[in-house]
Amino acid sequence: MKNKEVSMDRIKEYLSSKLWLSVVIAIIVLCVVFSILSPAFLQWSNFQAVLVQSSITGIMAVGLCFVIMTGGIDISIGAILLLSATVFAYTVNGTESFMLAFLASLSTATLAGVLNGVLVYYFKMAPMITTLATYNIYNGIALHISKTENVPIDRGYTFLGNGRIANIPVPLMILLAITLIGAYLLSHTRFGTFVRAVGDSQVSATESNLPTRRTIVSAYTLAGFTAGLAGVLLISRTAGLQNSLGVGTEFTCIAAVVLGGTALSGGSGSVVGSVFGAVFLILIDNGLNLLQASPFIYDAVRGIVLLAAVSVDRMSTARQAKTLLEQKALRIGSSIIKQVKKTAQA
Amino acid sequence: MKKVLTIVMTVALVLMAVMPVAANGQQDSEKVMGISIDNAFPSRIATVMGIISEAEARGYKVIKYNANGDAQKQNADVENLVNEGVDALLVCAVDMDTIEVALMKAKSAGIPIVSYDRDLPESEAIDCSVGPDSYSDGLYCGEYFAEALKDKGDVTVLELLGALNDQNGIERSRGFNDGLKSASNVKIVQASTGAWQLDIALKSVQDGFQAEPDIAGVFAPACFFVAGIETVLSDLGKLHKVGEEGHVVVAGINGEKGACDSVIAGTCDGVVVMGCHATGVKAAEFADMLVKGESVKRDYYLIAGDFYTTAEEIEKNKENIWGYQKLSLD
Repeated sequence: MKNKEVSMDRIKEYLSSKLWLSVVIAIIVLCVVFSILSPAFLQWSNFQAVLVQSSITGIMAVGLCFVIMTGGIDISIGAILLLSATVFAYTVNGTESFMLAFLASLSTATLAGVLNGVLVYYFKMAPMITTLATYNIYNGIALHISKTENVPIDRGYTFLGNGRIANIPVPLMILLAITLIGAYLLSHTRFGTFVRAVGDSQVSATESNLPTRRTIVSAYTLAGFTAGLAGVLLISRTAGLQNSLGVGTEFTCIAAVVLGGTALSGGSGSVVGSVFGAVFLILIDNGLNLLQASPFIYDAVRGIVLLAAVSVDRMSTARQAKTLLEQKALRIGSSIIKQVKKTAQA
Repeated sequence: MKKVLTIVMTVALVLMAVMPVAANGQQDSEKVMGISIDNAFPSRIATVMGIISEAEARGYKVIKYNANGDAQKQNADVENLVNEGVDALLVCAVDMDTIEVALMKAKSAGIPIVSYDRDLPESEAIDCSVGPDSYSDGLYCGEYFAEALKDKGDVTVLELLGALNDQNGIERSRGFNDGLKSASNVKIVQASTGAWQLDIALKSVQDGFQAEPDIAGVFAPACFFVAGIETVLSDLGKLHKVGEEGHVVVAGINGEKGACDSVIAGTCDGVVVMGCHATGVKAAEFADMLVKGESVKRDYYLIAGDFYTTAEEIEKNKENIWGYQKLSLD
């Protein structure tokens, strides 16, 4: 009987540690609802489409997750995406070299991320204001390069966005790779530990001689890199540059990261959860499109579902925290009783 | 103290950068046309280039401000133009309600106002409007779809929508639907593109084909969506040329080079090329007439686009298609 209780406690503890569980449940509920309402939903090709569509937001969410876990925020990732796509379009059209364009885009985006990190850390500016400013800078540079022109690119260069390897869409493979790398970095490296420590308390992390500066700059750099990669993928999918590419993506990504269980205050989070969060958000649009719902109600439905998901998440998180607290109290209580008994016996 | 000095120096630098521009507007007795641009995207730039060329041909100096989609900035832009003493004001509003306060100030200063590319039907300040005949542009496409699909039995057409609160998008949709009214075999399914966003359009087309794999046509209310539509068709193995078995009818409005090239390649059926230059020229002409004290009836003057459906038509008219011209606001 006691063993059963212990194993139940362990299961509860294990589930409590999985921050992405709520969003996975929300995805399942959404899938059940949409599959009842639309016969086209439960098809393998549709799931593939949803995952491919989620790849852009998902990849960006992985990078952003690290920034948010340090207690920061990066509003500029949408602009970095546009800048990266712009550099790619002009380089590939100018040089006809995919590799050069790819490297130029990723380098630009990574540099933009480094700049964000440096500004946030060295100038001690509020991350939201800093990245809002750099959003304008990156957006401005992209528009200056393109002069707002829509630039088509040759379909020969769109393999990253539209290609398949062993019948698996390339964007999906990239999303999986980035997720695995991100999850590994967070859970199995010192960098991941530092990210959480800095997010918990930057002051304590600095006082403990943790490499706060390197951690913060690296987190923003990662966000820049993933936004750049997403930019190249997106332009490869659309086969053309448009100056509104990526508009509002930053907010979708922030929503995905938070839905996935990452605390906006920093200190805890989940890379896998962030990707599930992205899938969840894309699923809403996919379901509405399949139901051929009126385009006028999309925003309202999206808002309501998001609000419901966050509320459920917050309730379950609070319940989990309460359970953990109770268990902790019980453990402390029983050890005090043991201690008292020992003292009495002595 | 250091901080104060830094702020003062920054403000001084910004003012020094702006001053020469401001001064230019007040030089001599040269007449000045002020242009307030809502956002600089290709077709808008083409229209503004039309305004500038006509204004300069009529002896005006031009001052232009771009609001970059920011309604509050546009209000400030219009106020600046009034302060700089422009003789006429040409405006394409980001937001028709927000702009009214600034326009009333211009009207109080006796400046004639012409709105271009978008009507401001509720405005008490403007003298007239000139813009694309979006309804007719949509109608051309609707009628083309009706004709192209008349022998195909019961079919579905996917209609992408522009920004839901954009007047030109709404009119294009209304025209397209009216053009298809006669085709009882065609069912229209509408899909969102957010705020005219290619990435969202791509998703909507992908999901549209998932819901109804036999979609027979896709309407693009803006030509730059054609690239996304072709990506999805290519993914699905449905990108066939006009006249080939299994061809999905695609047509769009605007006149972007990419879509025109697709018509030449045979993968896109047709493109309505907006008369951007003509719109700009007409707007400047009206502004000049108003400055000279001539009367212009308060109305929304419409300029319909040209619908090209063959490679030959596009090749023949390339020099009149704004998508093939070099666009710049510099």
